[in-house]
Amino acid sequence: MTLTTYQDLRAKADAVWARAAEPQRTLIKVGVATCSRVVGAEETLEALRRAVAARGLEADVMVTGCLGLCYAEPLVEVRRPGTPAVLYQRVTADKVAALLDESVAGDGIAHGMALAVVGDGALGGVPALDSLEFMRGQVRRLMANCGVTDPGSIDHYIARAGYEGLTRALRMKPVDVIQEVKDSGLWGRGGAAFSTGLKWEFLHNAKRKPRYLICNADEGDPGSFVNRNLMESDPHLLIEGMIIGGFATDSDVGYIYIRDEYPVPVERMQRAVEQAREKGLLGEGILASNFNFELEVVRGAGSYVCGDETGLLSSLEDRRGMPKIKPPFPAQAGVFAMPSNINNVETYTNVPLILRNGAQWWAAMGSEKHKGTKMFSLSGQVQRVGILEVPLGTPTSDVVMRMAGGPPEGRKLKGIQPGGPLSGVIPASDGDIPLEPDPYKERGVLMGSGGLVILDDSNCIVDLCIYFEWFAEDESCGRCTTCFAGTRRALEILRRISSGRGRMADLELIKLLGKIAQNANCFHGQGAPTAVASMFRFFEEELLEHVQRKRCPAKVCRGLVRYEVVHRSERLPAAEAICPTNAVVRDNGGYRIDQAKCVKCDACREQAPYAISVVDEFALT
Amino acid sequence: MFSQASHNSRLTPVEPAAGSTEVIARVSELIADLRPDNVDLLAAFHRIQHEFGYVPREAVPLLAGKFQTTPAIIFGTIDFYSEVRTTPPAETTVEWCSGPACLLKGSLNIRRALEAILECEMNRTSADERFGLRLVQCDGTCHLAPLVRHEGRYLGPLTVSEAIDWARGLVGGGEVRGQRSEVREEASDVGAPQKTAGTQ
Repeated sequence: MTLTTYQDLRAKADAVWARAAEPQRTLIKVGVATCSRVVGAEETLEALRRAVAARGLEADVMVTGCLGLCYAEPLVEVRRPGTPAVLYQRVTADKVAALLDESVAGDGIAHGMALAVVGDGALGGVPALDSLEFMRGQVRRLMANCGVTDPGSIDHYIARAGYEGLTRALRMKPVDVIQEVKDSGLWGRGGAAFSTGLKWEFLHNAKRKPRYLICNADEGDPGSFVNRNLMESDPHLLIEGMIIGGFATDSDVGYIYIRDEYPVPVERMQRAVEQAREKGLLGEGILASNFNFELEVVRGAGSYVCGDETGLLSSLEDRRGMPKIKPPFPAQAGVFAMPSNINNVETYTNVPLILRNGAQWWAAMGSEKHKGTKMFSLSGQVQRVGILEVPLGTPTSDVVMRMAGGPPEGRKLKGIQPGGPLSGVIPASDGDIPLEPDPYKERGVLMGSGGLVILDDSNCIVDLCIYFEWFAEDESCGRCTTCFAGTRRALEILRRISSGRGRMADLELIKLLGKIAQNANCFHGQGAPTAVASMFRFFEEELLEHVQRKRCPAKVCRGLVRYEVVHRSERLPAAEAICPTNAVVRDNGGYRIDQAKCVKCDACREQAPYAISVVDEFALT
Repeated sequence: MFSQASHNSRLTPVEPAAGSTEVIARVSELIADLRPDNVDLLAAFHRIQHEFGYVPREAVPLLAGKFQTTPAIIFGTIDFYSEVRTTPPAETTVEWCSGPACLLKGSLNIRRALEAILECEMNRTSADERFGLRLVQCDGTCHLAPLVRHEGRYLGPLTVSEAIDWARGLVGGGEVRGQRSEVREEASDVGAPQKTAGTQ
C-alpha cells in the first residue's frame, strides 16, 4: 500500500501542466470528444501529428476535451509562446496543411478558420472567446477544464486544483461534509431537484454495510448530452465528487452506470478510474487517510428506464432494469438490498467545487432560491448547437435566442422542450422565464436534466407529441398497465388525429389517459402524458385544427397532406429521378404524383420546390 | 440477504442447450471470470455480443448457470435491453437516429426514403438479408441532425435527396458518397432548394 499525500501528487502534476499552460514551444490542442469525433476530429489529430513530424515543426500536439461549441467542431487551438492562443473552427483533416501554413506565417493567424482568441481581448480582428455570443453570460465552473485540459491526464486535473476538495473533505468529519453540501443548497441535477445533502444524510444514517454510492450516467433523455461532455472532457471531476460522497456517507463501493450509447465516456471514465487507483486516490487508505473506497464503471445496454433511480438498481442486480416500488427507498434497501445512494453526474461533479471553495462561494451564483450553475445542451432548431453552463435563473430566452442564436434565418420560435421526452413543452410566449425548476413547474412542465430542444414554426406539435408518446411506449418496462397500455392507447389516439381520423371525443379520452397514468409506479408512466398536457395547455388551437378541420398548419402530419405538381419546371425530371418509389410519373407531357406510391418523403420537393407543393389532403372549412 | 435468498430458491440445474459446441466453448471462456451479484451480467452481454455480433441462444443456459438463475430470467433480461441482439446483424446496417433534434429537422422523411430504397422496414432486415435498418437513440451529436450512421461513420446534416443518393450508392455497391452531394448546388428552379428545416 502506498501512502501518497496530496502535496506529492500536486508537485508532480504542476510540472506536467506547466508544459501545456505555458508551453516553451508551439502547442496545438485538438478537441476530441463524441461531438467532434463524428465530424472527423481524430483524422484532424492524426493529420496534424503527421504534418508536424513531416515538416519538422517545433510543436507539440495535445488532445483535449470539448468546449461545448459543438456547432464549430472540430476545434483546434494553436498556442504559440508569447502570443495569445487562437481557436480555429471546423478544422477537418484537409484543412490541416493550410492551418499550419498560415498560423506560422504572417501575423500567425489563419484568418479563414479563426473563431476566437483564447484570453483577454481581440487580436488581429479575431474576437476574444468570451465575447462570442455563445460564451458571453456563461459561468463555467463545472466546465472549467472542458476543452482546456487533457482528459486522459490526471496530472492536468490535479494541477488545476483537482482533488483539493477531497483533501479538505478527508480532514473533516463525514457529517460536516454533508453539512457543507447541505449549506450550499445543491439539489439533484438529474431532474428531481431533491436536496443532495439530505439524500446523503439518509445513507449516512443507514444501519447496514456494505453501502453503495451510485452515479446515474444513463443520460437517456434524447437531446440531453451534458453528462456525456463532463465524463469525456473532465472525468476526474466526477471521480473526485464520488469519492467525497463515499467518504461523507461511509460507502464502500461506487458504480458509475453509463449508457451504452456513450462509448467514449465509458472508455475515458475507465481509464480515469485506473489512474486514480494508481495514484492512491481509490482503493485502501485514500490519500494516507483510513478511508477505503472502490469505483467501477458499468456499461448499460440500451434502456431508458434504467435512468430511473430504482430501474438502475434493478439493472445493476443482473435483472431486467424495471423500476422498483418505493418504499423501501434506496437509502434503506438499494442495490443488492443494501443501503445505496444515487445521484446524477452533474450533481456529483458540483461537490468537489463546494468542498474546494466552500459552500458560500458556491452559493454566491444562481438565483434567490436555486443556487449554483447548471449545464444545458441545446439542439433542434437553433443556429448554434452545443453545451453551455449558466447560473440557475438565467432567462431561458437569453440562452435560446441570444447564446444559441435562436431558430434558423426566417423561422420563428415555437416552443422549448426543456429536459427529456417526459418534461413537456413551453410555448415561445413563455420563453423569457428563468431557467430554474419553479417557473417551469407552474406551467406544468419539468426543467429536467437540461437538454433544451427548440421547436420553430416548421414543426408540428402533434407530430412531436407522437414522438414523445412513442418513446414512452417503446421504453416502458411493462410493469404497470397504466403505463405500457396507457401510452399505447394514447399513441393510437394521437396517430389517429395526425391521420385525419381524429374525433372530438378523442381529446377527452387522451386527457383521461393522462389522469390514469398518474397511478403508474415510477415517473416514466406518470411523466408520459406531460407533453400532451402541454399541448392542451399551450397549443390547443393547433390541435383543434387537426381534429376539426383535418389540417396540419405546419404541413408535417403525413395523413393530412399530399404532394402535388402545381407548376411546370425544368427541375421536374430531377424530382422524377430522386423519387425512391417512382411516384413522380410522366402524364400527358407533364408530371403528376402517383398518390398510391408516394411515401411523402419530401425529396421531390427538395429537387423542384417551385413545381411541387405540399397541399392539405382535406380542405375542410 | 434478499438477493441470496431469491437466488437459492431459483437454483435449478440447467442443461446446456443443444447447439454449436464451438459457440458453447467460446461463451464459457468469455464469461469464466464473472460472478453473480457483482454487476457482471451486462458485461457478459457486451463481451458475447462483441465476439459474435449478437447473443446466440446457446449462451442463455450458460449464463443462467453462471449467474445462478433460470434461462427465463436471462432471456427476459436480454429481451429487455434494446442494444442486446438475439439474431445476427445484417451484412450492412444503416442506423437511423430517432432523437427529437433529428425529428424536428425532418428525419421521418429520411426514414421513409431509406425504407423504400433498402426495401426494409425499421428494425428489420431486407429479404435478401443484405441490409438492415436500425433505430438508434440520440447520442447528442445533434449538430449533425438529421443524421444516419453507417459502420461507425456519421452522415449529416442530410437532406432527403442526399440520403437517397447515398442509400442508392450503398445498394448499387458503387461509390458511396460522403455528407454533401452536389444536389444542393444543382437544384435551382426558384433559388436554392428549401430544406424541410433551415441550415445554419
